Amino acid sequence: MQISSQEIIFLIGLTSLIFLIAPLFLIIYVVSYNRKKKKHQEEKLLLQKTFENELLKTQIEVQEQTLKTIAYDLHDNIGQLLSITTITLSSIDLDNKDKTAEKLAFVEDLTTRSIKEVKALSRLLHGEELVNRGLAAAIEFELEWLQRSDKFKINFDKRNFNTFNADSGKETILFRLFQEIINNIIQHAKATEIFITLEQIENLFKLTIRDNGKGFDVEETLKRKNGMGLHNITKRAAMINGTTSINSVAGSGSEIIVTIPY
Amino acid sequence: MMFITINTGCEFICFLAALIFLIKDKDTAWKLFIPYLLLTCLVEMTGVYMRKVAHVPNYALYNTFLLFECGVTGYMFYSLYKPFKSTGKWLITWYIIFVAVYVAELVMTHFKAFVSITATVMSVVFVLASLYYYYLKLMDENFERLAFSAPFWWVSGALFFYFGSTTCNIFFDYLSSLKPINNQLSIRYYIFILLNITLYSFWSYAFLCRYLRRKSSS
Repeated sequence: MQISSQEIIFLIGLTSLIFLIAPLFLIIYVVSYNRKKKKHQEEKLLLQKTFENELLKTQIEVQEQTLKTIAYDLHDNIGQLLSITTITLSSIDLDNKDKTAEKLAFVEDLTTRSIKEVKALSRLLHGEELVNRGLAAAIEFELEWLQRSDKFKINFDKRNFNTFNADSGKETILFRLFQEIINNIIQHAKATEIFITLEQIENLFKLTIRDNGKGFDVEETLKRKNGMGLHNITKRAAMINGTTSINSVAGSGSEIIVTIPY
Repeated sequence: MMFITINTGCEFICFLAALIFLIKDKDTAWKLFIPYLLLTCLVEMTGVYMRKVAHVPNYALYNTFLLFECGVTGYMFYSLYKPFKSTGKWLITWYIIFVAVYVAELVMTHFKAFVSITATVMSVVFVLASLYYYYLKLMDENFERLAFSAPFWWVSGALFFYFGSTTCNIFFDYLSSLKPINNQLSIRYYIFILLNITLYSFWSYAFLCRYLRRKSSS
C-alpha cells in the first residue's frame, strides 16, 4: 500500500500539532506544581510563625517564673531579714554596751545575709542569660534555688550528658518544659524527693523528671480541659519534634520523660 | 510589501520588544537578544529577497544564521542554569559537538544544502535543555511566581519552537521535494508560522517580565 504525499503532509501536520500539545501540558504541569510549592511554603511559614509565637510565649513565661521567684524571695527571705534587722536596731539600748555590741554584731550578720540574698536574686534576674549558659547549667541553677526551700530532696543526674547543641529556641522551650513539670510537682504532687536525669542516647536528648508524690490518674487528668498543663507540655515538646511520656500510679509518684532528637 | 510576512512581522515585533525592554538590562545574555533579533529580522528579509526577487537558493544564509542561533540560545540556557548550577563545561562541550556535526554535514552535502541534521540535533538538545530547566525549577525549594518569571516564559517559548519544529526538521528533505500547496507556500512554512508566532509571543512576554522585574527592584 502506498501512502500519498497528501497523507504524509497530513501526518506531519498532525505530529507537529501533537508536538505542540505536549509542551503545553508540560507547562501546565510545571505551573500547577509551582502553585503547590507556594501552598507548601505558606504552610511552612505559618508553622514557623506559630513556633515563633510559642517561643515568645515561652520566653515570657520563663521571665514570669523568675519574677514570681523574686517576689517570693523578697517577701519570705529578704523581707524577713530586713524586718529582723529593723526590730534588732530599734531594740538597741545605748546604755547597755555589752548587749549593744552583741546586737550590732547580729545586725551585721543579718545585713551580710541580706546582701548575699540580693546578690543571688540579681543572678536570678538574668533569667534569659541563664538558658544561654546551656540547658544543664540553667536546670542546675533552678534546682539550686529550689533546694534552698528545704522542702525537697533533689537528685540531679547528668552523667550521660555532654553538650546539647540545639538552637537557643529549642533550649528555651525545653527549659520551660522543665519548669512547668517542676511547678506541677511543687503545686500538686506533695512530694519530698525529686529525681532529674539528663541523658543523651544516640541522637536523642532525654529529660526524665520523677517524684515520690501522691501520683495522679494520667488519663483522667488529660481528659480535663486544663489538665495540669500536661497538654501544654505535650504540645510544646511536639513543636520541637519531641515526644512526651507521662507515667503515674496513684500513691507511687509520677514520671515524665521528654525525648527530642537533636 | 513582499518583505512583510507573518514571520518577519512577528520577528520585528519581538525585536522591538527586546529593544524597549532590554536596552537597560544588566545581564549580557538577555541584552544579546537585541542584536540577535535584529540579525534574525535581517536574515529573514534577505531570505525572502533571495527567494522571491533574486531567485537564488537561500540555504547558505540560513546555514550561517544557524551558528548564531546555536551560540545565543546555548549561552542563554547556560545563563539560566547559573543560579542553580555551573554548566560552563557543558556549554563548551555542546559548542564543540555542534560545530563538529555542522562541519561534517556541510562537507557531506558539499555546501549545497541546508544542514537539516544539525538543525534537528540542535532542536533535540534545546528541547532537553528546556526540560532540564523545568527539572531544576521543580527541584528548587524557592518559590517564584511563574506568571511573571522571564526565564520560565523564555524557556517555554524555546520548548514550543524546538519541540514543534522537530517533525519538520526530520522530514525536511521530504518536504523540500514536495510541490508547495496553492503553488505558493509549503506545509513547512505554515507550521513555522505557527511556531514563530508562539516563540516570539512567549519571548516578547518574557522580555516584558524582565523589564517589570527590573523596574520593581530599582
